[in-house]
Amino acid sequence: MGIRAKILSGFMILATMLLIAGGWSIYELKNIGLSVQNILDENYRSIDASKVMIESLERADSAVLLILLGRKDEGLAILEIAEEHFQKAYETAGNNVTISGEQSYVEAVGKAYAEYRESWPQVSFNPGNGKDSSWYIRESNPSFLKAKQTVSDLLDLNTRVMYKMASHSESRAHRATMPGIIAMASAFIFAIVFSFFINLYVISPIIQLTSGIRDYMERGKPLNIRVESEDEISMLVSSVEQLINKSKI
Amino acid sequence: MRLQVILRYVGIILLINAVFLFLSAAISFLKGDSAFFSLSYTFLISVLFGVFPFVFVPPAKEISSQEGFAILVSSWLLACLFGMVPYMMWGGEFSMTNAWFESVSGFTTTGSSILTDIEALPDGLLFWRSATHWIGGVGIIVFALAVMPSMGKVGMALYRTEVSPLAAMNFKLQTKKTLEIIMYVYAGLTVLQTVALLFCGLPLFDAVTHSFATIATGGFSTKNLSVAHYGSAAVEVVIMIFMILSGINFGLLFMAVSGRVRALFTSTVFRYYVIALFVGVVLSVINIHGTIFTGWPDALRYGSFQIISIATSTGFATTDSNVWPPFVQLLLLFFTLQCACSGSTSGGIKADRMVIFWHAVKKRIKKIEHPHVVMKSKIDHIAIEDDILEASLLFLVLYIAIVFLSSVLLSAMGLDIMTAFSASAATMGNVGPGFGMVGSTGNFSQIPELGKWILTGNMLLGRLEIYGIFLFLLLRFWR
Repeated sequence: MGIRAKILSGFMILATMLLIAGGWSIYELKNIGLSVQNILDENYRSIDASKVMIESLERADSAVLLILLGRKDEGLAILEIAEEHFQKAYETAGNNVTISGEQSYVEAVGKAYAEYRESWPQVSFNPGNGKDSSWYIRESNPSFLKAKQTVSDLLDLNTRVMYKMASHSESRAHRATMPGIIAMASAFIFAIVFSFFINLYVISPIIQLTSGIRDYMERGKPLNIRVESEDEISMLVSSVEQLINKSKI
Repeated sequence: MRLQVILRYVGIILLINAVFLFLSAAISFLKGDSAFFSLSYTFLISVLFGVFPFVFVPPAKEISSQEGFAILVSSWLLACLFGMVPYMMWGGEFSMTNAWFESVSGFTTTGSSILTDIEALPDGLLFWRSATHWIGGVGIIVFALAVMPSMGKVGMALYRTEVSPLAAMNFKLQTKKTLEIIMYVYAGLTVLQTVALLFCGLPLFDAVTHSFATIATGGFSTKNLSVAHYGSAAVEVVIMIFMILSGINFGLLFMAVSGRVRALFTSTVFRYYVIALFVGVVLSVINIHGTIFTGWPDALRYGSFQIISIATSTGFATTDSNVWPPFVQLLLLFFTLQCACSGSTSGGIKADRMVIFWHAVKKRIKKIEHPHVVMKSKIDHIAIEDDILEASLLFLVLYIAIVFLSSVLLSAMGLDIMTAFSASAATMGNVGPGFGMVGSTGNFSQIPELGKWILTGNMLLGRLEIYGIFLFLLLRFWR
């Protein structure tokens, strides 16, 4: 292999190491950006919707109690608002199913809420009938708690996944920086090895040749240069030796 | 000393590493796991660093023994250095120190780990982790095979660095032939064990990785509970058989396989190794029966596995030996120091030196009885010269001194005596687990950072038979 190819290969190796590491870092950094966006888009929306659903359920529960206490109009107004907010949040959660298994959680919320909602006509049409407190404890409150629990489960699922994704982003950030560090360290070591070879196989023989020619010209000392490689340098040395031999004749 | 020649031959080791990195990256790609880039990038830099010296450095006609020695030690160090890159790039529990520890532990076939959750690692990285054992176990021999044609007499010098004098003399074969034999035995055993484990119901991935770790007497498992994960007596029996086989001098093993079984049984070292194992198993089973295990079958199953695992310097676990009676713990510590035969992938002082040691003791007693007697030492018809005797005994003393010194240093870092001593002995002997914090079901994650560096030093000292590293570090050596 010629000197040009050798030097070129050295630089090509350096460039390849740095380019791939740089490329991968960019890829990983881009992915981190996407992950953050995904966390916001997918999990945060569902978490927010779950919180609204819990709040709406609690307001509905308060409304039921108000109706039972005889404050029917006030209770019905609150119930209407709570229902509206819950449905809106439920729709958001339903349209934002992004995690494996999340659909079943959303369906469970819908089912539990529907069961809870079924009890409302009983209280809204027959308020203050004397049996209400036991009815609340027996029927309304358990279905309220059940609905609330299903929403909490959905919230937990999304929180867990969000934490996992955030941790994953941390690993990705690590993976984005590491290729750069490894590439820099490798390039540094490679540069030392490369310059060692250049010095040993290119520069040193040239210096030896120069001083050998000088010694021959000034003191007639025979040219004695050992070149290990078989490239332009060895050809140059043998050409100079031939030239000297010819000039002797 | 020609640095360029060293770089050329060390490049071969990096290329061997690259083959396994490629396989690991392929597994990672197929499984779609997160280690693909870290493995493929390390593959790339290993290839580039491995190939580049070939571009500049022409093949050497002759290599001096000093150069051969430098190639040997540099190969180990560079393999460990490049081996830590995938861990570092992947992240997780791998800080720089942890990655270095895991890599050195892999290549030196120690099997000590800093991982608290092994199963969290992607498959590609788990394969690489096991592959480091396999490369480490055979690395030096493969390397010697590859560079042997241009090394001439240095080959034997290299070989003697790796095995004890007695083992080296056991072979009356040419070095190249010997190394070839070892390669065949090594690869053959790996394939055989993989097939046997497949028959026991292990998935291919687990069978291959556990075979890598067994034949190299390493001990890295792909499961948090090590071999205990499978809860299968059949798997344990297969692993036990191959652990015992891997602890035997591979040359002797090849002779036995090729019909010369007599050679195996006439070897004093082999007999000592088998008897020591047998006695160890019997004593431990008797001691754990009634105290740890109520039935004899369980005592035999767990007692024999643990003794064989430690005595062959493998380090797999099926139970927590931390809770075993002190006598059995001391027995395990003895085997942690002694380990198996030279010429195998086992670490430690080795059975060969123990035989020489007992021989020297016997000789000394006879000398006291008959002060003027002139005695010729012989083991298996091989004359043991005084310098060999002295070298072996000196090695033994130096070995214990290093274990003691590193134990003191670890104790100074706040570790309890049992953890400090067993961790030092287990890493020096390339065994893996010790007792206390670093017990058979524990790990090395709690060891202070500096302690981990000391222990990796132990692993390298143990693997390179102490003198290797000492000589390499001498400035005079490089002049």
